[in-house]
Amino acid sequence: MSQSAGRKSASINRNVLAAALALPGVLPAAHAQVTVPNATLVHFKYLYYRDYQADSATGSGERMTINSPALYLLTPISDEWVFEIGAVYDSISGASPYFHTVLSGASGRGIEDGRTAADVTVTKYFGGRTAVSLRYAYSTEDDYRSNAYGLTVRHATADQNTTFTAGIGRSNDKISPTDGPQFEEDKETTDFLVGITQVMTPDDVGQVTLYYAQQRGYLTDPYKAFWGIDNRPDSRDQWAALFRWNHYSQTYDAAFRSSYRYYSDDWQVKAHTVTFEWAQSLPDGWTLTPSFRYTTQSSAEFYYDPIYDPLLGAPFPPGYLQNPNAYYTSDQRLAAWGGMTPGLKVAKALPGGWSVDAKAEYYEQRAEWRLGGEGSPGLENFKAQFYQVGVARKF
Amino acid sequence: MKRLLLIAGVLLIAGCSTVQPWQKGNLAKPAMAFDYDPLQTRFEDHTYFSKEGASGGAGVGGGGCGCN
Repeated sequence: MSQSAGRKSASINRNVLAAALALPGVLPAAHAQVTVPNATLVHFKYLYYRDYQADSATGSGERMTINSPALYLLTPISDEWVFEIGAVYDSISGASPYFHTVLSGASGRGIEDGRTAADVTVTKYFGGRTAVSLRYAYSTEDDYRSNAYGLTVRHATADQNTTFTAGIGRSNDKISPTDGPQFEEDKETTDFLVGITQVMTPDDVGQVTLYYAQQRGYLTDPYKAFWGIDNRPDSRDQWAALFRWNHYSQTYDAAFRSSYRYYSDDWQVKAHTVTFEWAQSLPDGWTLTPSFRYTTQSSAEFYYDPIYDPLLGAPFPPGYLQNPNAYYTSDQRLAAWGGMTPGLKVAKALPGGWSVDAKAEYYEQRAEWRLGGEGSPGLENFKAQFYQVGVARKF
Repeated sequence: MKRLLLIAGVLLIAGCSTVQPWQKGNLAKPAMAFDYDPLQTRFEDHTYFSKEGASGGAGVGGGGCGCN
């Protein structure tokens, strides 16, 4: 056989092998790819959340408690269409600060609310490597209603090693406080996303996503505005760059997942967030996943520290009378601090496609954990615990 | 910021050694997905969204909440 005939035959063999492997169900599909899922997934989780913080006025600690049953279903309805649905009910009770970390009085402003949220996503696959997803999400509370839409397109190169993603979303929200003056205000968010996912080696996949959002309308916290001082601009532009990298370790039979997000907005909040997870496979279908998240943020330019006007006292910022219509907030979420979340998850795969999991996390925000700058002074550390138990089935 | 993106882009593209379809067994493992547990992702994103100043990055059309 001549050299060129040998090369040709080797190339044919490779093509035959590739074609055989490309038959549905024969080839492993990396998650970075655009491929139609071939199984139905049902997840149920029960989530318990509690947060607490010493009240600077009374020393009482408990704030919010949230109990949430949640459901997720993904099902391919043909070899081109996939349907996803999510639903959650949050049962919320507790107290929220009036301003800074002051819960006011012995019990704080009591809150009892329920949030019902549901979303539907329909995805159509074209030609094996393009997917178009349409999403609708609805969420309602006593004092808040949100209708959101999203369109996401994913397209993979022929070798399925590179996937491009682009998305546009819109959320139309209505705010109607149940406490204090009664009114209804609108808030609209338009967001955009472009991303690239790259299979780098047989054990590494990376992703870069750029995100931009425009919020317009009523962005003030109505309760803090009534009980404390809160007046925010009616526009906020947000940017984020998200980098993710997943690595599979053959040595340990473990997946290492990591991410970094840079965030910046025109209220001058800048934040860096990193996450690390080590999903360790163990015998008999067990997986143990320790996780860690760290975030650090600067304060919004109109956030004021808990140092009050010498004449008016709390909650008024110094010089308030001269400038009562300026932008102010005492919201800890817009202050400067750092936050850490250590966590541990345990999961077990069972026969028949069943699996169960449980996860516990502890979260704390402290001014002194802010990186590269002073944290906001005078705030009590904010602490929270998250617990999740879940059951899932794939069939 | 721009420099960071450039470096990340170069790293991603430099990593483009062609991985063959039959080499993707490890990448196909559930633990290697970016969104390996959708309900967990939603819960945690929602929690941080309601307690921090920064949000967004992973998806569009998420919708808002009162979250006081």
